[in-house]
Amino acid sequence: MRNILRHITLAVVVAVGLAAITSSCNNDNCIGNSTGIPLAGFYRENKAVSINSLTVYGIGAPNDSVIIDKVSAKNVYLPLRLSTSSCKYVFNYNTEGVGNDTITLGYDAIPYFESHECGAMYNFRITSMEHTINAIDSVIISDPLITNADVVSIKIYLR
Amino acid sequence: MRRFLHSIMCVAFLMAVTVNGYAQEQEQQRKVTPVKPSTNKVLTPPKGTDEKIIQQYLTGDTAQARAQEVKDSLAKIYPRYPKLTELSLGLNFGDAILMAFGQKYSSFDVSATLNMWNRFQPVLIMGLGRAKDTPDDMNYTYTGKLSPYFKIGANYNFLFKNEPKYQLYLGARLGFSAFKYDITDVSINNPYWGEFDQSYQLKGVSSNALWGEFLAGLKVNIASNWSLGWEIKFHNIFKYKKSNNSKPWYVPGYGVRNGKWAFGLSLYYSIPLSKNRWPVKEEKKKK
Repeated sequence: MRNILRHITLAVVVAVGLAAITSSCNNDNCIGNSTGIPLAGFYRENKAVSINSLTVYGIGAPNDSVIIDKVSAKNVYLPLRLSTSSCKYVFNYNTEGVGNDTITLGYDAIPYFESHECGAMYNFRITSMEHTINAIDSVIISDPLITNADVVSIKIYLR
Repeated sequence: MRRFLHSIMCVAFLMAVTVNGYAQEQEQQRKVTPVKPSTNKVLTPPKGTDEKIIQQYLTGDTAQARAQEVKDSLAKIYPRYPKLTELSLGLNFGDAILMAFGQKYSSFDVSATLNMWNRFQPVLIMGLGRAKDTPDDMNYTYTGKLSPYFKIGANYNFLFKNEPKYQLYLGARLGFSAFKYDITDVSINNPYWGEFDQSYQLKGVSSNALWGEFLAGLKVNIASNWSLGWEIKFHNIFKYKKSNNSKPWYVPGYGVRNGKWAFGLSLYYSIPLSKNRWPVKEEKKKK
């Protein structure tokens, strides 16, 4: 009986040790965002560029809150609204003689469970896009499926 | 002239007979086998030779005696277990211990292992797995419903020269499970647009997975026919089904989908087969 108890004690000790090893080898950190947010990047003649003193906000955001305000930006996240199927964003360049631009995105929200570490979120599928042409030359949706991956999916080409 | 020719023929005949006789004598001399004086030396049998073999030598049946001697000497360095050495029935309860230390999922299985020649061991495993986790600082509850899984594989026992009650082995498995899971209690905040506690549920999502395992194991006899076994496994999913809305977190019998390492602890009951053909230990022989 003592022999059996000794073996069981040893088994538990070995089990805990191996469990610690295996669990430490199974880490799965979330490498993306906690939800799907489209990332827009600025380009001029196929080269990524920064815009000085850029302000971006969504029309209808509570308390007229802005996404970025008068900062130099190479790219900007454009959070999508869950309760509607389209969002309109204003791009203010804070430069005399250059009018504001707007980009309107139409989309479907897709409930999505990515992983244990990233959790439950929404992905989005861009279904339509419109924009003005003050400083913007064209806009290309490089990937209509917006996931939590930290990649540029909307390319804004400037004049 | 006729007499002269007759004389020549007689001489030629005599010469031919003489030469032929000499050649026959030479031929006979070549076939003689020399006999060494040491042929009759009495050779003593090697120390420890079985009395039965000695008797076989003495009665003149040397071929059979030699064959038996070779067989016995091989058996001394390489004990051969029969093709069907034993059948082991196992219960894997390693996850019960890990759950006590905070693991949120568990798999329990029963296995049947056929030990052949105390070397090759085909294994069949059937089990059930489930999971439930609401991680801290996260926004969901994952429920893996109780689902079956199956594994098939084999072990190679490196201690095949020892008794089957102590085994050190490497093995491989192929596993499959079809299962369902729920994602509930989802809470999503979208602070820029002032949207908080947005919720949805994904219920009864069906999936399946096929995976492979390489493992190293140790099996130790604890009492009578009962043994404990530890296994550490490196595994990888070959293929799994993901839905449009989710990827499974937990796979029954595998563990966390992204995990590469797993651990198993099993209790075995062994049923000896063909025990009368198991090699007998030297000390037992002497008794």
